[in-house]
Amino acid sequence: MSLTPEIVKPELHFKRFSKSQRWEHTLLLFCVLVLLLTGLPQKYRTAGWSQYLLSTPERVQMIQQIHHAAALLLTAGAIYHLGKGILQLARRQLPADIFPVWQDFKDAWQMILFLLFLSKDKPKFRKYNFEQKVTYWFIFFGVGILIVTGYILWFPEVVTRLLPGGVIPAAKLAHSSEAIVLAVFIVVWHFYHVHLERLNLSIFTGKLNEEDMQTYHALEYQRLTASQPESPESGGEG
Amino acid sequence: MRALLRASLILVGAALLATAALTCLLDSSEALPRRAQAAAADFTPIRASSPQQGDGGDENLSIGNDTCLGCHGSPGPTLTLENGDILDLYVNPADYAASIHGQKGYACVQCHTTVGNYPHPEFKAASLRDASLQRYTACQSCHGLQYSQAADSVHGKALASGNQQAAICTDCHTAHEVKRLNDPQTHTLLPSARASIPQTCAKCHFAIYQKYKTSVHGAALLEESNPDVPTCIDCHGVHNIEDPTTAAFRLQSPQICAKCHTDEKLMSRYGISTNVMNSYVADFHGTTVTIFEKQSPDAETNKAVCYDCHGVHDISRPDDPITGIQSRKENLLARCRKCHPEADANFPTAWLSHYEPSPEKYPIVYYVNLFYKLFIPGVLGSMALLVALDVGRSFYNRSREKQQKIEAAALPKEAPAVELPPEASLEPPPSTTQEAPGGESAVISEDAALPLMEELPEVEAQESDGEPTSPPPQEAEDETRAQDTPPADQPSQPQETSSEPPLASHDEDQDDASEPEGDEERHD
Repeated sequence: MSLTPEIVKPELHFKRFSKSQRWEHTLLLFCVLVLLLTGLPQKYRTAGWSQYLLSTPERVQMIQQIHHAAALLLTAGAIYHLGKGILQLARRQLPADIFPVWQDFKDAWQMILFLLFLSKDKPKFRKYNFEQKVTYWFIFFGVGILIVTGYILWFPEVVTRLLPGGVIPAAKLAHSSEAIVLAVFIVVWHFYHVHLERLNLSIFTGKLNEEDMQTYHALEYQRLTASQPESPESGGEG
Repeated sequence: MRALLRASLILVGAALLATAALTCLLDSSEALPRRAQAAAADFTPIRASSPQQGDGGDENLSIGNDTCLGCHGSPGPTLTLENGDILDLYVNPADYAASIHGQKGYACVQCHTTVGNYPHPEFKAASLRDASLQRYTACQSCHGLQYSQAADSVHGKALASGNQQAAICTDCHTAHEVKRLNDPQTHTLLPSARASIPQTCAKCHFAIYQKYKTSVHGAALLEESNPDVPTCIDCHGVHNIEDPTTAAFRLQSPQICAKCHTDEKLMSRYGISTNVMNSYVADFHGTTVTIFEKQSPDAETNKAVCYDCHGVHDISRPDDPITGIQSRKENLLARCRKCHPEADANFPTAWLSHYEPSPEKYPIVYYVNLFYKLFIPGVLGSMALLVALDVGRSFYNRSREKQQKIEAAALPKEAPAVELPPEASLEPPPSTTQEAPGGESAVISEDAALPLMEELPEVEAQESDGEPTSPPPQEAEDETRAQDTPPADQPSQPQETSSEPPLASHDEDQDDASEPEGDEERHD
């Protein structure tokens, strides 16, 4: 079959993200954007632009309410994400692609060698390369820290019934530092990899075309194509 | 000569003033000459108040104090007012002589400008208070600045709005026993005056005085005559006393405390940190308050200011064994609960108590801070470095590819690729690998070539393209650019490869897919 010359072949696309995953990403993007826009003026209160924006108690209250509303939405998204993961785990359906494995460290090392011109080969990747895994887990824990510390700051009276008071200023520090870390991370790391290195909109479209699959996820491509009936003589199972 | 000139100038000015006063007072016109005279006498003290001329001031006066004291210098004369109040017209000559005005030789008629002649013009007042309110305006002619400041003060405004009990000049300074309060040399309060101030305010604000008396400031003033502690006027002002219940006063109140508490010299005498203001502003209560103070000074806020925790007039040492907010957490908790009613025992420690976090004080905060100090440059920095390297590497690769293309076009066929792995034999057009000195593109194109040959052997020649990211087989037919050379090289090749390579290539595929280690080995 592979030998039949085909003049016109439709471009193949590989499904990469489910509809729910794409919506989760959109929700996360929206919430993070709103939270950053309403959070930064609160963090940089000494800056002129922040004082201009938040010049009256009413405005401060309003921006805090927007921040809280977006936080609730993000929390709902996070609970959904975790809940879905736990459910899938219970049903033994949790895709393991995103979990870091030893190979990722080897890939990262290989990548560093490649970037330093010490190696000629870029590592080949499966469904998620180590950079994408770093992105996911960095944001996973970052958002986790932000959600936890955010609620500590929202309900300090309740929290200090159980925990020492020092938790509040620590949470305040962690919340504002982590937000900056996450923002810088998204701009430097995530934006570079999905916009500048190549435009990768698969999180919105849900699919990746064959060329990108071969180029950036060669192992995943091979895995997918190997099991396809089009290449029976390849003996993929052997 | 100069003195004469001055005197005449003064007289002219006085006359002007007098006419102005007259129009206001609507008095009988026959009083004009007398009034003018009295006003002239009244005006001299402005000059006379300077030390040199003060003693000679009364020489110009038409009516000496003896004249007045002839009647008013001994108890007896009274005036019954409209409501039945009896106004005592007695002035103790000794008391007046001891007052600052008496010492300086000011005449009665300088203030009592309307009573120059005898019999006096009729004086009508509804009550004793009304009498005072009519008379205190006399202070204005010499003490105009203080008078207008007082008129704009909370007392003046209360008076203007109809509260007759609001303090006027004489309530604080008295009428006939006005004391010297300032040191004439330094223009600062005399120590004796400092101690008298709280008592003066206490005449009306007694409950507050009782609190102040036992506060750390009040006790030091009243018991030790400590000149460093604030009296009422240091916080509230002297004549321009503001309403302390406004939102604006609340927002600016930290600045009042900061005046002394950021004064290094003053605080070092008592071992008090001057960092209190900075640490207050650094925390969100203080940040918000100081910004509102600047941006919207009249904004209502319940964000804590100094006195919410430390007390308004009953300020005590934080380590006071009974009332201290540092020594007894329940005292601070009570303050917190004013705004945070649900606060519990742990809650007050959420406030850093003006401390800088350190391993001893607030270790959690200290270590979180330390963590991010290391984490941000360490992790984010290295990520940025990786991205920068990535940019560099892909830029390098792209420019190399371009160069290779140019070279490929220039030198279509040359030395065969000797370093190719076994499958190289399947790749007749060696031109692809030959101009990849780094070998990188050679290896990748070799990999990429496999699916090509496996599925579309007739276009396998395309790999001369030299792209490290070789096109997928399905799209291969599209990429027919610059492919004229390899087919010419080995026209019969495609047929050969089509028969053999698939197996070989698939082996390779499998290796890649199932054993990543194999990949690794090749890289190492």
